[in-house]
Amino acid sequence: MGANVSQLEKEIGSDLFPPNEHYFGLVNFGNTCYSNSVLQALYFCKPFRDKVLEYKAKNKRPKETLLSCLADLFYNIATQKKKVGSIAPKKFIARLRKEKEEFDNYMQQDAHEFLNFLINHINEIILAERNASKSGGGGGNATSSAGTAAAATKSSSTTSTSTTVSNSSTNGTCSNSTGSINGIGIGISDATTPTQGGGSPANSEPTWVHEIFQGTLTSETRCLNCETVSSKDEHFFDLQVDVDQNTSITHCLRCFSNTETLCSDNKFKCDNCCSYQEAQKRMRVKKLPMILALHLKRFKYMEQFNRHIKVSHRVVFPLELRLFNTSDDAVNPDRLYDLMAVVIHCGSGPNRGHYISIVKSHGLWLLFDDDMVDKIEASTIEDFYGLTSDIQKSSETGYILFYQSRDCNV
Amino acid sequence: MLTHNKSCGGRKKMQVSYVIRDAEEKQHRNGVNAMQLDPNNGKLYSAGRDAIIRVWNSRSESNDKYIQSMEHHNDWVNDIVLCCNGRNLISASCDTTVKVWNAHKGFCMSTLRTHRDYVQALAYAKDREQVASAGLDKAIFLWDVNTLTALTASNNTVTTSSLNGCKDSIYSLAMNPAGTVIVSGSTENILRVWDPRTCVRNMKLRGHTENVRALVVSADGNQVVSGSSDGTIKIWNLGQQRCVQTIHVHKEGVWSLLMTDNFQYIISGSRDRNIVITELRNPSNSMVVCEEKAPVLSLCFNTDKTGVWSTTWNSDIRCWKLPLYDKCTLNSSGGMDAQWTTGTELACIKGGAAIKKCVVLNDKRHIVTRDTEDNVAIYDALRVVKKEELGKVDFEEEIKKRNKQVYIPNWFTVDLKTGMPTIVLGQDEVDCFAAWVSIEAGLPECSDPQSEIKINYGKLLLEALLEYWTPPHSLPPNDMEQDIRGNGFFQVPKHTPVIFSEVGGRTVCRLLVRDAAGESESTLLHETVPQWVTDVVIEKTTPKFLKIPFFLTPHPSMGKPERTKKDRLVANEFIQCRKVCEHVLDKVLGAETTPSGGNASSSSQNSDAISEGSQVPAEDRIELWCNDVVVDPNMDLRTVRHFIWKQQQTDLTFQYKTKPNFSYDGKL
Repeated sequence: MGANVSQLEKEIGSDLFPPNEHYFGLVNFGNTCYSNSVLQALYFCKPFRDKVLEYKAKNKRPKETLLSCLADLFYNIATQKKKVGSIAPKKFIARLRKEKEEFDNYMQQDAHEFLNFLINHINEIILAERNASKSGGGGGNATSSAGTAAAATKSSSTTSTSTTVSNSSTNGTCSNSTGSINGIGIGISDATTPTQGGGSPANSEPTWVHEIFQGTLTSETRCLNCETVSSKDEHFFDLQVDVDQNTSITHCLRCFSNTETLCSDNKFKCDNCCSYQEAQKRMRVKKLPMILALHLKRFKYMEQFNRHIKVSHRVVFPLELRLFNTSDDAVNPDRLYDLMAVVIHCGSGPNRGHYISIVKSHGLWLLFDDDMVDKIEASTIEDFYGLTSDIQKSSETGYILFYQSRDCNV
Repeated sequence: MLTHNKSCGGRKKMQVSYVIRDAEEKQHRNGVNAMQLDPNNGKLYSAGRDAIIRVWNSRSESNDKYIQSMEHHNDWVNDIVLCCNGRNLISASCDTTVKVWNAHKGFCMSTLRTHRDYVQALAYAKDREQVASAGLDKAIFLWDVNTLTALTASNNTVTTSSLNGCKDSIYSLAMNPAGTVIVSGSTENILRVWDPRTCVRNMKLRGHTENVRALVVSADGNQVVSGSSDGTIKIWNLGQQRCVQTIHVHKEGVWSLLMTDNFQYIISGSRDRNIVITELRNPSNSMVVCEEKAPVLSLCFNTDKTGVWSTTWNSDIRCWKLPLYDKCTLNSSGGMDAQWTTGTELACIKGGAAIKKCVVLNDKRHIVTRDTEDNVAIYDALRVVKKEELGKVDFEEEIKKRNKQVYIPNWFTVDLKTGMPTIVLGQDEVDCFAAWVSIEAGLPECSDPQSEIKINYGKLLLEALLEYWTPPHSLPPNDMEQDIRGNGFFQVPKHTPVIFSEVGGRTVCRLLVRDAAGESESTLLHETVPQWVTDVVIEKTTPKFLKIPFFLTPHPSMGKPERTKKDRLVANEFIQCRKVCEHVLDKVLGAETTPSGGNASSSSQNSDAISEGSQVPAEDRIELWCNDVVVDPNMDLRTVRHFIWKQQQTDLTFQYKTKPNFSYDGKL
């Protein structure tokens, strides 16, 4: 391993090695590549790393949470004497297994589910700690709110699955599905929902997790009988898009915002008509997030096989991205995004395979495969677009794309 | 070719619903979707969203023009056509059926169940007595009216031709009187044209950018006028297969069209609430006939064609004067009155208010409603009556005032699609047998003070709804029981419509409570009524009691370290906490305070001891706590779980505690 490490330094060249940067692999604790790959992507997400390290600096002796473990891990990497090497994220994995039953084993996990859990959970911890400090309580108080945070995350993870709007789920054979969103429980603009008790004023102020990852979707539904349009805003931490063969991410996003007709058994309950009517619905982005996480829905449930299969379709993701599926009243429709990290799934199916990630750091592209780190050429990114032939075989395909808004560096 | 009496393969689950309404509803209770006028006698037929087709004497000068109601649909009636020179009426409904009526007598002759979704539109070819129906199932069926009117209960098969090719839901349909051209409009935004004689598809016409909502074909079958949600009216020449004119006279979707006989003027009604008349050859010559109070749904000439009847989202039907002069020779004349004043009302048929909002109270028996005129009323879902009219009071305030802190499971849902409350009895998520209540709480008007009877709302109601039904194979009622029909407590209004339908909407059978005794209805019921209903109504099976598991632990202030084990108990969800107090006193504390008794043998001893030792009720001696709150002994378990415990995942837990004065007494 040592040879490999020094080779990376050699490859980059000591004069070109970014100052104050560390490229450390993460040791696998038995199928924890889902976590390693996502953590690397998040570490090299500059705004996120800065905030986590800032948290570490501000909380000298915090109560152990998943966030404090993450902060310790990031701090540990950032303060290494060596420039390259590997680290065992032991404490973080131990805490993760404690926090969420589903991860408390040595099974394969879905990297997107993990990302979703992690972002939501960190957000809950921040909110709980903010509430605890506002209510002026000491340590004991904080303990109880951390507990609440954990409980709340459990429930919010269920809400987020229920708010996931997916056309394909209602109809197994539906081909024109427009994708789904990954909603979160904390409503900011939802004026119709009465605010729940307990610390809602604190909740109304966005956390740094919100500031980094949260975007807003607006869904417009037009009843085909009375032709009344109703619109609703929903927040998201990532967008989940369907994949089609030989397309691009722009195509996926266009499909995501395609008009969907709610009909037959899936009619729309129109408030104006007081009855179920056909309706046309579309979802567009109203507020573009600082970091846009795109989840490619590569694991499709196939009824005939009674299991999920991997869709290895070739979907091109550009280094530069602009969104075209923005709403007319979008806040910042012109944001230009740069590809910053990709979590890649390698293998033939959801239950077998491996996760790795590629990240961009100071103009260099690096590939993190658990404890191994390699420098790669930007041109090799093409290898992760997917397969053009439909014959099922092992593939290495982009699974979660992280795009960073260019204006967030300023 | 299809037969109309499709036997339902793979039976879907059946649901039961009923409507709370007056015996005779003389006014429309919701918007009116379509109209037809019989020029021979001046009868105006109007198809309501309240599921009722009403017949009016349009020539009458009086305010009361009502003649009769034609009732058999149970969802919006979307379209009607009058055929056979006014003898028969055909109707299309969201209940997915097409019905054939005797127009003079007003009864339903037969029901066509070929469509699989809402039937939106009908078209009629007078010369060939042919009717076409189309709807959201993308299908168009052609019917021979003479065959339809000859259908009987035994001879009930009819063949139909279907027109294929539509890829989207159909919202409009038109034929010329000669029956040589049929046109459909759909959410594909295009017009499709067939020859109904051969069922051959002739063409597709593109041009509209949104749904096509209204169509008229000229008598010669060469011109089509279309109205669309895109706000335009287009004139199409079928010979040239193209749009020859686009007319912009509306700001919003065009939903209804009417042509003067010579195809010279277009009268259009729109979502923008305006009715406009436009000269076809010179669209700049157009005038606003009137501005309605709501989006216009349908239009129909009055008898002498001096005016136009219009309907909207509201339930009123009004007749507006048309700006055409030389009315008697309209066919040859073409002038419009330059001195025209918009909005001259010739006649009005006043409609009633539609209920737009409702909330079921916590007692799961009463419903607070608010209608389009902001009147608030209270309905009783159990007795199937409107109980109180409160007038224009604050809706939310009324709910707050009337809701008590009691939790009873849902056993029905309310549907307001017709503007009248339709109560749907649930089976799955909402189980219609879920609501067990004590008679003094649930039906105080029938309770006698000492009774401890528990009643089940769903059971009582089904028994009352099917009170007059005697299934063919059931035991003949013996003389003794002759009087005791139904549920033994109350009856529901005999005019109440009861509807059996598949979950998802398709109606299987609709009848009035009083008609269940009839021979044919009884047989029909025998075929339709699902097992879960007959079990209760005929077999008199008692629905299951729902149980709640809960834990009993000593309150920390009791300070009894030797008893740390929690007692896990199960009880009927409607028992009052008083009973739990009795249990604590009797079984938990009682067992501990009598050292001699082994647990197995001591139960009778204990209860003796308790009844001897105290005249004081258990609730005065034992306090139950839940989530740091003292529980009212009158509250039942499910109410405690719902309002105090508030958790679904974990079992309800009570902490018990002897009241201070009791333990003091005990020491004495």
